[in-house]
Amino acid sequence: MVTMTAIRSTPAIEDRPPAVIDIRELEVRFGPASGSSLLAVDRVAFSIAQGEFVSLVGPSGCGKTTILNLLTGLLQAEVSGDMTVLGKPPKAGNPDIAYMLARDSLLPWRTALGNVEYGMEIRDVPKSVREQRAMELLREVGLGDFANAYPKALSHGMRQRCALARTFALESSVFLMDEPFGALDAQTKLTLEDVLMRLWSSHRKTVVFVTHDLAEAIALSDRVIVMSARPGRIVRDVPIPLPRPRDVRALQKDPHFHELYAQLWALLEYGATDK
Amino acid sequence: MRIRWTLSVLGHLLFIVFFLGIWEAASRSSLLDPTFFGRPSGILSYLWKGLIVDRTLWNELGYTLLAAAISFLGGSIAAVVTGLLFSVLPRLHRAAEPYLTLLNAMPRIALAPLFLLWFGLGIGSKIAVGASLSFFIVLSATVAGIRGVNSDHLTLSKALGATQRQIFFKVTLPSAIPVVFSGLRLGLVYSLLGVVGAELIAAEHGLGQTLAYLQSTFSMDGVMAILLLLAGLGLGVTTLMNRLERALLVWQ
Ligand SMILES: Nc1ncnc2c1ncn2[C@@H]1O[C@H](COP(=O)(O)OP(=O)(O)OP(=O)(O)O)[C@@H](O)[C@H]1O
Ligand SMILES: [Mg+2]
Repeated sequence: MVTMTAIRSTPAIEDRPPAVIDIRELEVRFGPASGSSLLAVDRVAFSIAQGEFVSLVGPSGCGKTTILNLLTGLLQAEVSGDMTVLGKPPKAGNPDIAYMLARDSLLPWRTALGNVEYGMEIRDVPKSVREQRAMELLREVGLGDFANAYPKALSHGMRQRCALARTFALESSVFLMDEPFGALDAQTKLTLEDVLMRLWSSHRKTVVFVTHDLAEAIALSDRVIVMSARPGRIVRDVPIPLPRPRDVRALQKDPHFHELYAQLWALLEYGATDK
Repeated sequence: MRIRWTLSVLGHLLFIVFFLGIWEAASRSSLLDPTFFGRPSGILSYLWKGLIVDRTLWNELGYTLLAAAISFLGGSIAAVVTGLLFSVLPRLHRAAEPYLTLLNAMPRIALAPLFLLWFGLGIGSKIAVGASLSFFIVLSATVAGIRGVNSDHLTLSKALGATQRQIFFKVTLPSAIPVVFSGLRLGLVYSLLGVVGAELIAAEHGLGQTLAYLQSTFSMDGVMAILLLLAGLGLGVTTLMNRLERALLVWQ
């Protein structure tokens, strides 16, 4: 695994492989341009290497979504610091990025297949390739029999799988996921985490994964970045040295898993009462 | 299922026969004055004569339907186009909104005499009244539909790099269609209402004109028959639109 220590705001170590995502001294303010603006993100810095799975955890309102939105280039805010994705500054519609939102945001007038195709359609993937790839991914997430179903006929978990398939169908190299399983019940969540792990290990994407669920963060990630309450700062960047491939369900009984959980929990509490 | 349905139809039939029977009996005794309330047998014979024997009612029905259809098509096409234009030019929308609200607040039936003056006694004035009703209904539905687009869908599309054009055709438009459709359904009913209302005030033809004439000659059987016909027409029109909607919007 790559560079698990000393990633925090220390100056870059030159012999590291080039980072896919690099954020330095990021400060974000909202509100009126002068004076009483609100500091949302405070001197955040981290970098993520190719193929790494990194989770971002922290109290509500600490700027996790803001950071993802900045990486996609969707957010216009008062920003200082440096931010690059694959060496380039963020721009809206960057084909290197696939964004997955908390809610499935499936288009209700498209079938499951049509929804998986939607992202590729916007990115001009030819029709024949699109259909085949969409079908493959639907099968991978276990929705092969539901290709022609409309979202209204899918359960919550199935819709989220469909959204997962849509995201992976993009074949972007960087995935930004904002609490994609936040609204699911515990069982469905474990199933989808498994699906995500399978997809991730076969497609090897770089992932930034925002979650409130520490167990989820540990089970999935190579590193977990803990942030403090607003203004969001990095409390610590914690490596997760659990061997892969991981079985999300079996991990729940692993003592090492529980140690990490306790450690992260303490950091989170510390960050919440920081000031 | 089948039996349930048959039973329910049977129940309704029984109720109608019972209701008409009481009405007929009451009007034949001195309980109900047939000059004011008509009587079922008279209504049926009026319809029989008008629709089957000398067929004069078909002609009037045709005038009303034609005016309603033209005013609905004209009014709603103009409304959808205006609504889409507003979504592309929000500043135009903001500028036009107060005037539109003012116009819409006017009771359109009260404008009918004016329209009669401008467009004459014929079908033109009827179309104007009907269209002035359906236009505003469909316009506000179109605007609401476009405004109601899910912001997650927009975020997702922008993150994917969709152009304004793609967002409009792939997200905004399809998501507005169900709302526009319910506006169209209402607009159709109101077109019919506007046309009949204008015909009541002054016309040479149409069910409304027939109704006004029958009323003035105290032919209550005829009045009731026309009312029944109009109700049936409204029902038919709504059912048709519902069918169309279900066929078109399977995903709902
Ligand atoms: N468009 C905006 N305008 C003004 N303030 C904003 C805007 N977006 C976010 N904020 C503020 O920035 C802070 C961070 O918001 P953000 O949505 O990034 O939090 P988060 O960490 O994703 O929280 P949660 O876990 O609840 O999703 C919040 O305090 C919020 O009030
Ligand atoms: Mg958030």
